[in-house]
Amino acid sequence: MKTGRIKAKNRTGLIFFPAYDWEISAFHPERKERLLYTHDQVIEEGLLDIEGISEFKAGIATDKDISRVHFCLPDIDSVITDSHRISAGGCIEAARLVLEKKVDRSFALVRPPGHHSMRVVHGCRGFCNINMEAIMVEWIRTNYPHIKKIVIVDTDCHHGDGTQDIFWHDPDILFISVHQDGRTLYPWSGFPEDLGGSGARGMTLNVPLPPGTTDDGFIYVAENLIRPILDEFKPDIVINSAGQDNHYSDPITDMQFTAGGYARLTEIVSPDICVLEGGYSIEMALPYINTGIILSLAGVDYSYLKEPDFRPDRFKQASVEMKYIAGLCDSMLNYWRKRQGIPLKKEGIVERRKTVRYDTDNIVDRQAEFKKMCDCPGVFRIETRASTGNSATCVHIPRGACESCRSQGIEWFDSAEGFDFVQMQDMDKDIFTSRKG
Amino acid sequence: MILGIDVGGTHTDVVCISKGEVVSSMKVETAPDIVESITAGVSSMNIDYDGIKRVVLSTTLTTNAIIENRLERAGMFVSAGPGVNPKSYFLNRDFHLIEGAIDHRGRQYIPLDEPGVERAARLLKDSGIDSVGIVSKFSVRNHYHELRIKFMIEGRFKYVTMGHQMSGSLNFPRRIHTVFFNAGVLPVQARFVSSVKKAFAGLGIKSRILFLKADGGTFSSSAAERLPVETIISGPAASIMGAFALRPDEKCAAVLDIGGTTTDIGLLALGLPVFEPKGISIKGLKTLVRGLKTVSVGAGGDSAVIVDKGNIQVGPSRKGPPCCLGGTVPTVMDALRVLGYVKTGSEDKAVKAVSDIASACGMNVEETAKTIIRQMVGIIKNAYTDFLEDVNANPVYTIYEMLHPETVKPEKIILIGGPALALKTFIEEELGIPCVVPENYDVANAIGAAVSKTTARITLLADTQRKQMICPELEAEDIIPPTYMIEDLKSSGERLLKKNAVFLGLADDYGIDVVEEQCFNMVSGFRTVGRNMRLKLQTRPGIIPEFRRKASG
Repeated sequence: MKTGRIKAKNRTGLIFFPAYDWEISAFHPERKERLLYTHDQVIEEGLLDIEGISEFKAGIATDKDISRVHFCLPDIDSVITDSHRISAGGCIEAARLVLEKKVDRSFALVRPPGHHSMRVVHGCRGFCNINMEAIMVEWIRTNYPHIKKIVIVDTDCHHGDGTQDIFWHDPDILFISVHQDGRTLYPWSGFPEDLGGSGARGMTLNVPLPPGTTDDGFIYVAENLIRPILDEFKPDIVINSAGQDNHYSDPITDMQFTAGGYARLTEIVSPDICVLEGGYSIEMALPYINTGIILSLAGVDYSYLKEPDFRPDRFKQASVEMKYIAGLCDSMLNYWRKRQGIPLKKEGIVERRKTVRYDTDNIVDRQAEFKKMCDCPGVFRIETRASTGNSATCVHIPRGACESCRSQGIEWFDSAEGFDFVQMQDMDKDIFTSRKG
Repeated sequence: MILGIDVGGTHTDVVCISKGEVVSSMKVETAPDIVESITAGVSSMNIDYDGIKRVVLSTTLTTNAIIENRLERAGMFVSAGPGVNPKSYFLNRDFHLIEGAIDHRGRQYIPLDEPGVERAARLLKDSGIDSVGIVSKFSVRNHYHELRIKFMIEGRFKYVTMGHQMSGSLNFPRRIHTVFFNAGVLPVQARFVSSVKKAFAGLGIKSRILFLKADGGTFSSSAAERLPVETIISGPAASIMGAFALRPDEKCAAVLDIGGTTTDIGLLALGLPVFEPKGISIKGLKTLVRGLKTVSVGAGGDSAVIVDKGNIQVGPSRKGPPCCLGGTVPTVMDALRVLGYVKTGSEDKAVKAVSDIASACGMNVEETAKTIIRQMVGIIKNAYTDFLEDVNANPVYTIYEMLHPETVKPEKIILIGGPALALKTFIEEELGIPCVVPENYDVANAIGAAVSKTTARITLLADTQRKQMICPELEAEDIIPPTYMIEDLKSSGERLLKKNAVFLGLADDYGIDVVEEQCFNMVSGFRTVGRNMRLKLQTRPGIIPEFRRKASG
């Protein structure tokens, strides 16, 4: 008698938290049963019984875990729910499993999502309140200081503008976002010229793909841009923000990616940790894509996986688009390789102003950012005034900040006036302070 | 009067219960022929066969048939559709892949390849196969493909097992394993049931015969002939139900049944036995068979003791009876005999056996006896710790459960089985939990079999968009209106249980528990298009009222 068992090549941990009792609203795409059919498929396929694939409990992110990343206004409990804490806590558990070497790879199949959440949080934007990947990254760097170089590959159909914002000035975090062109889709951002702050130029890479991009286009980007960059950068950890809304059946986007394509993409990127982001074709895409990602992470044959209505000849990439994508990959690779040659401003304060729109909660926030240029990663402060009426000065003293930047940060914190709140993140000391303005 | 019979690997125990009291009990060695052991045990009891109203059997027949590779050759029709490569789950060359696919909501999207069914059926028939299994992916959402295959091969095979009859739960590989085992043990069980019936008739016992299932419930012999796979691992279930019957008021207690070869570990929590959530495993294969959560570890009273490089090693196997009872290999029992914790058998032989071990590792006899026992108890302790860790590791899927975690922490251990009393102080000391050894502890498993209620579980699914309600286990289907709610599904379930009580072999007094309940709105284009409801009902496992009265009072 044969064994009748499949063995995973990579020990794979799954944190499954479908939050069956949480939704934005009854008709919102981000609603209770979003992962129901995925759960059905995962169970029916017997994935959790495969030798080497195990399911683990999610955790609950603490105030401190969240404060390492976000300035929440007016405070943490006002902008999130328990579900957000568990979603972020699920990601932390996913990281813990890998770092404690309990598994080789992990997948946080959790909701609600997080990659549109920026450093300052006034509410919910793009269905996101707090940024799970960022919270996980800061948890990793705090608890495992030997881990320095981290890559986040965001394959959600929407630009990961929140993650980009949080790590914009961070020289150790490489953020690569592959998404539907921001001229055609929310959040209307993520262009090739956006390469990161001047102390971390080239550590943000945006790859906007034309609407209608198929498996061919995605796999081309994975093989010819992401893979070579990963090989050159040699990160300690690779995280994949695995949004699943590039699927041809997704109701709110315009791409033509398939479940088999997602599995292949996962194989090429080979992330240590996957995190579910968007994906709203809950019956026709998510069950199959998630199955594909799990099989691919575990190193189990996924060649039999396809959607019920899949036809191999259905989506073909036009050659003109393939040419465009190839050109884009070339120029992005060029930006990446020449990043150290880009001249940097070495002193003074660089100012950046922007307006952040919260589509879900209908908030507008006007921000001004002041970044001290320095040989160290450089302290910065954000002044924020939102339509909720809340205003704040938020000071971020980054990891590896020099003494001069640290005292500048403390001076900003102490002297800020005319705001409702003043908050400060001191990353090296792992201390987070807040006062009324 | 009620007769409970537990055929274990080492001993066959028989108890006779009358008016809530154990009036007679018997322990005989298990013979190679199970029916022979049963008749030997029953006929050596001095009871009036006419008064017997209920006979319950717990045997290792199906378990051993699977473990010892004595399954009947079974052919398999497997219809998978896309997903994990289905051929990975094929256990032998009698598995045939049939094209066709059904999705998670029960919608057919690839029709069944009927010529393929025909081809496979002919091949299986030509190779002389009598028993076949039919499995399709998502058949618990829509069993049309399984039924269609059965209809096509009707009359050509003596035994047919279909996936949706086994369980209403999702899990295609487990469904394959469950059906394969059921198809393989069906002929074995059918022969056994008929020879048991004949043997009892020969003894003049006319009562109906029930069988114990892995979930600690019983079912009728006709159900046992249809679903023999449900009787695998029923031995440990008998132990737990026995402990439950003897100590019905324990709220949270672990059960240790120390036998000759193995110790079975189980759990009572919130005053009820604890189940294996997804289904039990056998021979390394996971099934959908609902069973009590148990683990067996190779440490028992007759565990062989050897010396390996100066170190004492206990178990995991049994190499015959203890030396004090005429065996040849020293055992834990001999160590207990040396220290005076048991009085059976020859003390001289026990001392001789333990002395041999003592001299091989340079210790005195008493010290050696204690070391042997502590080692054996240490093995049990490790298994017990892992078991509890496993019980408490189950992931949860809602915020409420996440914020209100429930950790199971036994307050007591109920010790049963032959060596239970002798080992009590050692186990209390090593595990640091108070132990109780109930009356009739040595035949507790036979009592468990005798007094367990009949049980059944059904799954109900309603999809108001597809206007359909189904119950896979009972092959029931109904058309439902858009206004159908979860309460309506509950009443449909209760009606179905009542209607099928005889078919399921249920007694009159069954209570119904809702073990799973989910209701989701289905939304399409920002509009609710229906409700998707899932419900699992089970009749409450427990002890028949005749016995329960005595234990509580």
